[in-house]
Parts: sequence; structure tokens; C-alpha cells
Amino acid sequence: MNNYQCFVRLNKPSTFSSTVHVKNTRGKPVTREEILSKKPLYILEKIKENLEKLNEKMEVMIELQKHGRKEFQPLPDASLDVMTLLSMPDHLRKTAMTICRCGRATAEDVSQQTTRARAVESAYLNQLVIMGYLKKERKGRKAYFYADRESQG
Amino acid sequence: MSKIIAVHSYKGGTGKTLLSVNLAAILAKRGKKVCLFDLDFRAPSLFAVLKVDNAECWLNDYLNGTCEINKVLIDLSSRVKGNGKFFTALANPATEAIRDMSAKDRKWEMRALGRLLSLRNTLLNEKEFDYLIFDTSPGLQYSSINAIVTADYVVVATTGDRSDVDGTRRMLRELYNLFEKKTGLVLNKVLDPASKSKTGEVTSKVKTVYQVPLLGMVPCFCEILRAEGNLIFVEDKPDHPFTKIIDEMAKKIDSNEIN
Repeated sequence: MNNYQCFVRLNKPSTFSSTVHVKNTRGKPVTREEILSKKPLYILEKIKENLEKLNEKMEVMIELQKHGRKEFQPLPDASLDVMTLLSMPDHLRKTAMTICRCGRATAEDVSQQTTRARAVESAYLNQLVIMGYLKKERKGRKAYFYADRESQG
Repeated sequence: MSKIIAVHSYKGGTGKTLLSVNLAAILAKRGKKVCLFDLDFRAPSLFAVLKVDNAECWLNDYLNGTCEINKVLIDLSSRVKGNGKFFTALANPATEAIRDMSAKDRKWEMRALGRLLSLRNTLLNEKEFDYLIFDTSPGLQYSSINAIVTADYVVVATTGDRSDVDGTRRMLRELYNLFEKKTGLVLNKVLDPASKSKTGEVTSKVKTVYQVPLLGMVPCFCEILRAEGNLIFVEDKPDHPFTKIIDEMAKKIDSNEIN
């Protein structure tokens, strides 16, 4: 579980303490005073980060439903070689090729190269991770994707 | 701008090595820092064409991860006139090495792709090479597809041979297009191309049949056959029409007129 669990009710935006309940790592609710006095910016950043993670997961679920689960079954021994690249669907090949060229990149970096939306690239990159072709590593708020060539074989 | 150029073909004997060597040499003559790679591991030939038999390390070793690229590079700048630099990286011609390269698995090929891709950084960015030219093996070999994926621009050598035409068309559609590669066609061994009307006819036919731009058209020169691969033609015969054709191709590549 993440550091903070956020539950946002959108019907009462004017009363901050009654609309947002933030729990800390020990499961205790953070009081209004704590939020206002201590680290409001930090908490907002955490909320944003969690929403981004949630967004990524939803994008993967949408893609899985769109294309059917069979296409994205993880392979136990998947390697991102040129023959694999050739057999991929066009939309995934473009993303995988960009990672091959960059070595290590975020969804934002890939989207700049492919000129597709960051959210789209994020979904494709996560699919490639599920399929076992890419690895994902978090550093702070950024998620980096790469093909782990050296550790295989 | 295209910095890494792969010279490829569907069939063997279309003149890839002749094109690669002479294109690299003429770019060096034009003052560029060029490295020519022999990526035809099943039938290495550059060691013979360039008459080099004292390589400290081979390209095979670099792709195996047992040596750095610096140790593979051989400086042949003294062979070309002008201010340019001409380097080469050779494939090991020993039978055992050829057998070893033929038995590599997918994982090895994946790592080899990574090492080829890293040349962009080590040679183009750090060592300031202007061009890397890959002489590849024909058809759909792992090593040649790795080279195509790494390249910015693919020069496809073809002849008028029926099976070559069909195979090249298929490869353009099912290989280069899938990788979204910028491609230029060189029609080699053209018979009787002297008249301008004939040249125009061939050019438009190529565009219709292959649907890619024509980089150049090379007539069938008996002098090239007579040289038996003993010359760097553009260096030894600077006034020959073949040299002018290759120079024209290099000019198009160097001035980025290849879209």
C-alpha cells in the first residue's frame, strides 16, 4: 500500500477537512491542522502521484479489455529481439523501437519521440512490461522503462 | 540527418560490398570521418577487399561483449586522399568464428542489437564520427535486421533479376516499412543506360515498382569486374563514371537530399 490513501468527495469542495480524508502510513487520519500546518504541498504531491499510478493501471485495464487478454499473456522468457519486434502489432512496435533506441525512458520521453499522447505511451509501455519485454523501475515520481538485455541469457 | 547507413539487399551478389566500400571511401574523400562495418558474419569479405589481416579484435568480439569498440577499429585513413578519416571494423573470417556466429540464440541477438545501438553514442557522439556504414548480409538474417533497426537510412542494392525484384519489393513492404526506415534504392548492373530517355524510363519504373526514391543507378562496368575486388575503385579510378555515380550518391546523403 502507498504512504497515503486518499478518498476525495467532489460534492463539497468548499470545506476542505470534510471532503478530503488522508490516512498516514499507520492508518491514522491526518487532522486538518496537520495538513494545513505541516506539509500540505507534500500531501498534494502524494495525491497526484497516487492518481497517476491509478491512471496507469486503468489504462492497462482498458487496453487489456480492448485487445483481449490472450494477446498480452506474459511470456516467461520474453526477449525483445528484432524478430519479436517484427511480429508485434504496429502500435506496440513503435513504442518498443523507441525504448530500444533510447535505452531507458519515461512515458513522457517516448511520447516526445513518437508524437503520441503520454497516456497512450504509458499504456503501451505497461503492456510491454506485462508481456515481459520491458522492465519498469520507479525513481522518485518518475517511472523508467527499459529492455533488460544484459541480465538475460 | 542520416548518420548510420545500412547497405542491404534481398539476394547476394547485388553489389552491397562494392557500394559500401566505395561509399565509405568517397565520404572520407569528402573530408568526413567514416567507419565501415562488416556485418556479414556468414561470409566476411571486407578483410579481403581492404587487405587487412592483422585485426587486434574483431567485430564478433565486440558483439560478444569481450572487447571495446576502440580495439576493433582499424585506421585506414592513409588509403584515402584528402582530409577525411577512414576506419573499418571487420568480421572474423575464420571458419570457427562463422560457425559460432551462425549458432547464436535470440538472447544473444538481442544483446548484439543493444551493442550496435550503443555505437551511436560511443562513435557518433563521443568519437565524433560523421558516418557509420554497415555492410550487411543479404536477406532476413538476424545480423542484417539488427543493422537495419540501428540505421537511420537503408541503401537497398538490387538488380533487374526477376527474383530479386520480387524479393526486394516484399522486403520493402514487410521489413523496412514496418521499422519506418528511410530507404533509397540503388539499381545495380543496369544494361545500356547511356541515353537520357532510358535513364528517365528506368527511374519512373523504379518508382512505380518499388515506391521508394532512387538513390542511384549503376551501369554494368566491365572494369569493375576486371578489378576482381582488388581496388577501392573511387580511390584508384577517380575519373571513372562509377566514381562520379558514387560521388553523386554521397552528395545526396551528405546534403540530406534523400527524403
